[in-house]
Amino acid sequence: MLPRRNPPRRVITLLAVALLLAAGLSACAGDGRTTITFFQFKGEAQEYFRTLAARFEAQNPDVRVVVDNPADPETALRTRLVKNDVPDVMTLNGNGTFGEFASARIFRDLTGDPVLEGVNRSYLDVIATLGRGGPGEVNGVPFAANASGLLYNVDLFEEHGVAVPRTFSELIAAARTFRDAGVTPFYGMLADSWTAQSPLAPLSAQLQPDDFFEQRFRDGTTFARGWASTAAQLARLFEYTQPDPLSKGYEDGTAAFARGESAMLLLGSYAVPQIRFGKPDFTIGSMALPATEDPARTTLVSGVDVVLAASRQGDHPAEVDRFLRFLMRRPVMEEYCRAQVAVPTLEGLSNDDPALAGVSEYIESGRIVGFTDHQFIPAIPLGPLLQSFLISGDERAFLRDLDEDWDKVAARRTWGLGAVIA
Amino acid sequence: MVVPAVLIFFVFHTVPVLQGVFYSFTDSPGYGPFELVGLRNYVALFGDPRVLHAYWFTFLIAGVSTVAVNVVSLTIAVWLNSRIAWRTTLRGIYFVPNILAILIVGYIFNYLFSNSLPALGERLGIGRLSTSLLTDSSTAWLGIVILAVWQAAAFNIIIYIAGLQTVPVDLYEASAIDGASPWRQFRSITFPMIAGFFTINMVLSLKSFLQIFDHIVALTGGGPGTDTESVALLIYKGGFQGGEYGYQSANSVVFFVVIVTLSIVQLRFLQKRETSV
Repeated sequence: MLPRRNPPRRVITLLAVALLLAAGLSACAGDGRTTITFFQFKGEAQEYFRTLAARFEAQNPDVRVVVDNPADPETALRTRLVKNDVPDVMTLNGNGTFGEFASARIFRDLTGDPVLEGVNRSYLDVIATLGRGGPGEVNGVPFAANASGLLYNVDLFEEHGVAVPRTFSELIAAARTFRDAGVTPFYGMLADSWTAQSPLAPLSAQLQPDDFFEQRFRDGTTFARGWASTAAQLARLFEYTQPDPLSKGYEDGTAAFARGESAMLLLGSYAVPQIRFGKPDFTIGSMALPATEDPARTTLVSGVDVVLAASRQGDHPAEVDRFLRFLMRRPVMEEYCRAQVAVPTLEGLSNDDPALAGVSEYIESGRIVGFTDHQFIPAIPLGPLLQSFLISGDERAFLRDLDEDWDKVAARRTWGLGAVIA
Repeated sequence: MVVPAVLIFFVFHTVPVLQGVFYSFTDSPGYGPFELVGLRNYVALFGDPRVLHAYWFTFLIAGVSTVAVNVVSLTIAVWLNSRIAWRTTLRGIYFVPNILAILIVGYIFNYLFSNSLPALGERLGIGRLSTSLLTDSSTAWLGIVILAVWQAAAFNIIIYIAGLQTVPVDLYEASAIDGASPWRQFRSITFPMIAGFFTINMVLSLKSFLQIFDHIVALTGGGPGTDTESVALLIYKGGFQGGEYGYQSANSVVFFVVIVTLSIVQLRFLQKRETSV
C-alpha cells in the first residue's frame, strides 16, 4: 500500500481551483452596477418586457435588470420562494396564487407609495380582495386589466344575420342558428382545463347570490345551493361545441377561431393577441356573457391581468422603486395595452382596439366584477373537476365534489383560505 | 475518500430527507410563516379520496407495467440471443428507447394517440379507435402503460441478454440430445438459470414504475379530471402548484415507506423462489 499522503494536497488543490472559479464567475457581474431580478410571467409579452428592461438600463446606467421568464411561471416562482430566493420585481396574474403569496407576506406593502398615484381604485380593490399581508396593505400595482366575456367572429355574425345576444336564451338561440348552418358555435378546448373557467366566471358572478363567497368561507352555504344554475347553464353552452372538445387545447382553439371555424370563443380579451397571431381576416368582436334574461343585470368580468409586485425583503429597494415607476409611466402602459389588447389601469387612459369595443361601455360605467374562480386557492382542483363535469355532464356530482374538496382543503389548512376575503 | 463521500451524502441526501419529514408535521406552503400541526396531515391523507385514488392508480400502472415489461423484454432478449442476422445492430436498435428523454418521446406518443391512431381508426371504421385513447378515463391508463413498457423494455432487454449469456451452451446441447422442445428448454433451463436476473428486473421495474411521473405529464397531465394522477404527480401538483407543501411532504413520507416495504417484500419473495427452482 502506498502511504496516504497525497489526498489532502489534492483536495486542497481542488478546493483552490473551485474557489478561483467561483471568484471568476462572480467577478463577471461585478461591473459596479446593481443587479435586480425581474420575474416576468407573461409568455406573450416576453419580448416587450425585455426591450423595456433594456430601455430602463439605458436610462439608468447604474442598474442591471435580469429578466427571468420561465415556462410554467407560477410553479417556477413557488420553487424560488421555497429556496427563499424572491425576485426583486415580479409581474404576476392577479389570481388566487397572487393572493396566497400576498398573505404569506412575500410582497412589499406599497401603501402611500407615489407609484400608486392615478391608479383606478376599483382595480386596487380587486387585488385587495385576493389577499394581503396585513390589514390595509397594498401588495401590488395593477398594470393591465382584462375583460372576460366572449369573443365572436363579426363577419360570421353578419353573414348569418345574428345580432349580438343580450340574454342567455338569445345566446343559445344564436348558437343553434350557427349549428344548423354547419358552423361550430363555440370551440371546446377542454384539453386545457382552465379554459372552462373562463365562461364559468361570468355565469357564476351573475347567477350566484351576492355574498356567496363570504358565506362559503364562513361555511354558511354550499356550491350545491349557490351554483346549481351556474353548472346547468355552463353545461348548456358546452352542448354547442365541436365533437371531441377534450382532445383540443387553447392553441388549437385560438387557431381554429382565427381560421373562421367557429363563430364564438368562450375566452376573454387576453386571448386576442394569440388569435391575431393566426392572422384572422375578420374583425374580432367581444361582448359580456349574458347569464340571465334581464340585459340590465349583465355584468362584465374584469380582473387584473398583470400586477406588479416587489419583494418584501429585497436588497435594492431604491432601484426597485425606480424600475416600478418607470414601468408605470403612461406611455409605457399605453404601449403595452395596445400591443396586448389589455385595459389600462391608470385613470384617463383607455384602449380603442376594436376587439374591446363591445365591452368598453361596461368598463367605463364600472359594471365590472372580479373573477369568481380567483377565490379558489390552487389546492382545490377546480380545472380538473370542471373538465370531468363537462365530459360526464353530471351536475350533481360536480357540485358535490366541489363542496367536498373545498371543505377538505379548508379542514387541513390553518391559513390562506378566508384571508382571501378578509 | 470515505469521509467526504459520507459528508456529501449526508448533506445532499439525508438532510433534505429529514427536512421533508419535518415539513410533513407543518402546514407550510413552502415559504412564509407556518405552524406545527402534529399528525394532522397524516390523518387527512387517509381520508382524501384524491390521494387514495392516486395510490390505487399508481399500483395499477406499476403492476401491469412490471408484468408486461418483463414478458416483452424476456421474449425479445431470447430472440436477440438466438442465431439471427444483424444481431448486434438489432441489439443496438432495441436499446435506443432507453437513451431518449421520456418527456420528448411522450409528446410524440401523445400526438400518435390523439391524432394518428384516431385517423387510422376512422379509416378502418373501428368506432372504438376513432376518439383519442387519452381522453377517456377508462382507456387513458393503457396509453401510459404502452409508453412506459416501450421505454423500459430497452434496459431490461440488456439485463436479460447479459443473463442469457451466462447460461452454458452444453446444457442446451445435452437437452437437445434428450429431445427437449424449445419451450421445454426455456422452462427447465433458461428461466431457472437466469432467475437472479429476473429478480433484479422485477424489483427495479416495480420500483421505477411506482415513481411514474414524466410519462403522465407528457400524455395526460393527470387528466381527464384527476383520473390518471400518480402519487409522484400528485405530490408535485399539490406541493409545488397547489401550495400544500407540508401536506404533500407527509404524502411523500408515506410513499417512501410504501416503496421501501414493497421492494423488500418483493425481493424476499423472489429470492426464495430463486433458491427453490
